[in-house]
Amino acid sequence: MNTDIWLYSGLVAGVLSVLAALGAYARVRAYDSGTDRSREIAGWIRSGASTYLRMLYKTLLVVAVVLGIVLSVVFSGIEEKPMHGLLTAGAFGFGALCSALAGWLGMSVAVEANVRTAVACKKGVADGFQVAFKAGTVMGLAMVGVAVFGMCLLYLIWRDVEIVLGFSFGASSLALLAKAGGGIYTKTADIAADLVGKVEVGIPEDDPRNPAVIADNVGDNVGDVAGMGADIFDSYVAASVASMVLGASFAGSIGPQYAILPLALCVIGIVSSFIGLRFVRVGKDGKPGRALNFGTVFSCVIFAALATAFFAAVNAVSGGDPALGLNWGVLLSTLAGLVIGVVMGFTTDFFTNDEHRPVRNVAEISGSGTGLTIITGFSYGLVSIAPAIVGIVAATLASYFCSQAFGLPGIYGVGVAAVGMLSLTGIVVSNDAYGPIVDNAKGIAEMSEMSHEVVERADTLDSAGNTAKAITKGFSISAAALTVLAMFAAYSEVISKYSGGGSFILNLQDPLVLSGTLLGCIVPAVFSALTMLAVTKNAFVMIGEIRRQFKAKPGILAGTELPDYTACVGIASSGALRALALPAALAVLLPLAVGFLLGPGALGGFLAGSIFTGVVFALLMSNAGGLWDNAKKYVEAGNCGGPGSEAHKAAVVGDTVGDPFKDTAGPSLNTLITVMSLVSSLFAPLIARFHPF
Amino acid sequence: MEKHIYVSLMPEALVMSQLGPEEFGTYYSVGPERKTQGQAAFFEIDPGFRDPFFPIDQALALCAPHKDGSPKRSVYCAVYRVVEHVPVSALGKLYLVTKDGRTLGVDRAPSIPDDPSGLHLYHEIAPLHPLVVSTLGPRAFHSFFMGDTKKNIGVPALCWVECKLGELATNPEMGDVRDLPYENIDHLRSCLVQLKTKNVVTKIVERLNPSTFAYRTIKNGIFYGSGKELAMFPLPPVEALKNAHYQWWRSANM
Repeated sequence: MNTDIWLYSGLVAGVLSVLAALGAYARVRAYDSGTDRSREIAGWIRSGASTYLRMLYKTLLVVAVVLGIVLSVVFSGIEEKPMHGLLTAGAFGFGALCSALAGWLGMSVAVEANVRTAVACKKGVADGFQVAFKAGTVMGLAMVGVAVFGMCLLYLIWRDVEIVLGFSFGASSLALLAKAGGGIYTKTADIAADLVGKVEVGIPEDDPRNPAVIADNVGDNVGDVAGMGADIFDSYVAASVASMVLGASFAGSIGPQYAILPLALCVIGIVSSFIGLRFVRVGKDGKPGRALNFGTVFSCVIFAALATAFFAAVNAVSGGDPALGLNWGVLLSTLAGLVIGVVMGFTTDFFTNDEHRPVRNVAEISGSGTGLTIITGFSYGLVSIAPAIVGIVAATLASYFCSQAFGLPGIYGVGVAAVGMLSLTGIVVSNDAYGPIVDNAKGIAEMSEMSHEVVERADTLDSAGNTAKAITKGFSISAAALTVLAMFAAYSEVISKYSGGGSFILNLQDPLVLSGTLLGCIVPAVFSALTMLAVTKNAFVMIGEIRRQFKAKPGILAGTELPDYTACVGIASSGALRALALPAALAVLLPLAVGFLLGPGALGGFLAGSIFTGVVFALLMSNAGGLWDNAKKYVEAGNCGGPGSEAHKAAVVGDTVGDPFKDTAGPSLNTLITVMSLVSSLFAPLIARFHPF
Repeated sequence: MEKHIYVSLMPEALVMSQLGPEEFGTYYSVGPERKTQGQAAFFEIDPGFRDPFFPIDQALALCAPHKDGSPKRSVYCAVYRVVEHVPVSALGKLYLVTKDGRTLGVDRAPSIPDDPSGLHLYHEIAPLHPLVVSTLGPRAFHSFFMGDTKKNIGVPALCWVECKLGELATNPEMGDVRDLPYENIDHLRSCLVQLKTKNVVTKIVERLNPSTFAYRTIKNGIFYGSGKELAMFPLPPVEALKNAHYQWWRSANM
């Protein structure tokens, strides 16, 4: 059968998805933005976010131009593909542009929706939810739309998955900058605002007298909307491209349709998300968390049904010819990834939700001192790795053996399992982007002195947003893990292909492989340290600025003078982007150094080491950080002594430690391992020629 | 400019100021350049009040605008033995100021309710400030310390707050702590248990207690006893605070 129709469907689905996002954007903007005061505060946040995005995109432009030139020069040396360098560089730039476009759209609507959500909360929880979630869907739909459109377009034109690999590398490069930069930004502002505002001066959260309050609210957007969005965009594209690379490398034995199947699955995912989004509504019980979870699970069911129907239809059209039809084993692998992805997202919830023992235990033990808070939270973080890793193992084995049992290469099954897991990206990102919007809405309600009923409604929305964020983190780490496993297999296939077709096997008894593995193990640790040190360094500078303002302008606390919000926004923006240079360079240069100096075997070991420790570190830090955060919130809700108690003081310290864990280093590791895997796969042809094995 | 006389409770002092209560509260808690900082509570007292112990007129004379026309923020008239020389009849409104300078005015209750049953936790604010538990309700507690001047332990005047004990008031052994922010809760429990097992009506929980306390722990209000007179300044209910004084309530809940 002509599989081009799948690609054209991808183009149409992509365009429709972006149009739907733009429609939702317009509807969000039509909501009431409230009083002059609320508009003024929202304007400061919008301006701060724009400042940061402009600086981020300028940095990205420089990175894209430099890397684009490197790619075009380096890959022009491949004899059989004289245009490969230029095309890869072009695809790289296009990938970065698409990711930036989705991020920009998501951020733009988030900073418009925050104030409108706050105003809508005057009517009720359901009204506020509707505005915030609609705005979240802009990010979700724009992201999947742009990604699928970009991948389908490139493949339609060039029919070369290695060009699409360049697209993925572009998306990953932006993701690394956006996620790590956003993470550094948001925690710099958050920690500095809390340490001076709350601890030293005694002013509450989201108080307009705090000079860092706007930077803090901007940080929610740049970290959780632009950053997390770029991170999932990266995983989404990388998972699809890794499966395409695997499908293309096995095309001779299993049929060419499997190289494009991941894109068809993405289209089904878009349709499922479209349908699922329609059913996300707060019921009479007024519980937004239930509405978000229902949408995710419902989309999952829709995807399973549509994917099954798609396989059946293709097989019916192909008349049972295995060379033209689709193997049912692939469907089982896809569904295995989908189900385990959703289950793992909710597993994260167990460790970070205050309805369960881990958070409550940490809160209770905090009454006995900070040391115990840290030890207990860290220990639960370590324990939380186990079910997630078991889930990844289950997804890997299930997808591998499902495909193999039906006569397909098992590793291809792993690839499509990652695609299956990420097929619901549209709705998952919508849920995730909802979080910072309602967080900002609560802040704006407080700052513009709306009534306590409005603040409490916004708080109800915010609680659901926190849970959604935690679930998204678990989901994105698991998806990234499975993606890089597929990417790792893709790397091996490319090395085999360009080394003369021999089977590329990693042998741990080979000292080069072992050395590479050990070197890979240290990268996530060093990367985490660099990003967290950047947070403490920038926070130190910002703390100095906040103290200076309070001292220089006594009227700030009295409420007669306005703080200089832009100073803190500037510190957070420039500090975050400056601090990115070294970690970003490590992510790109280290795999190349290992590959060219020690060979493809060492690079394979390097990737394995970084993937294993990266996933462990990411899970530990994200879950421990989320746990400490919610333990503090649990105490603040009037448990274990409540605000001002010894338990609260210890829990605040735990939360401060956990902040860069969960929002800076932890989630950035997904992107790190994806970028390193992509760099390796992209440069694999050159490394294989440089070091034939 | 109008001159005000304030009785500060944290620390105990008699202060003259040209600032109104709200401005004075902010100034008093956060200072002109954040050189001072902290929770504050004070009464505004009758401007006609005079007592030979205090050189009030002398202090009022010093309480004049600065050369640039700005109001005089504070002139200290006395920094100890203030409460014992200010009778209940001189008291105006009580002002509770948060660490970040939000001020709430509290009116005096027209009458003091009968003592409830159960155990009580009293945080003495001025002139002494230990933390004590007692079987006595506020009225009986006042009589116990200020009714009989011949007793070994007694004070001429005392300002104190009754703090929440939650379930511990009736079940000190097993009651749930919930949102009680007190340090060393096991010691507090043990002191409460001793009230039941030993023949005592009061027991000191903390000798070296700071005079500051969390406003959210106020059970019913702040009491001011002077000789035989007792006044109560009830904190409005939480819902009323949220509706009418939300910013103060937020800061007080820190």
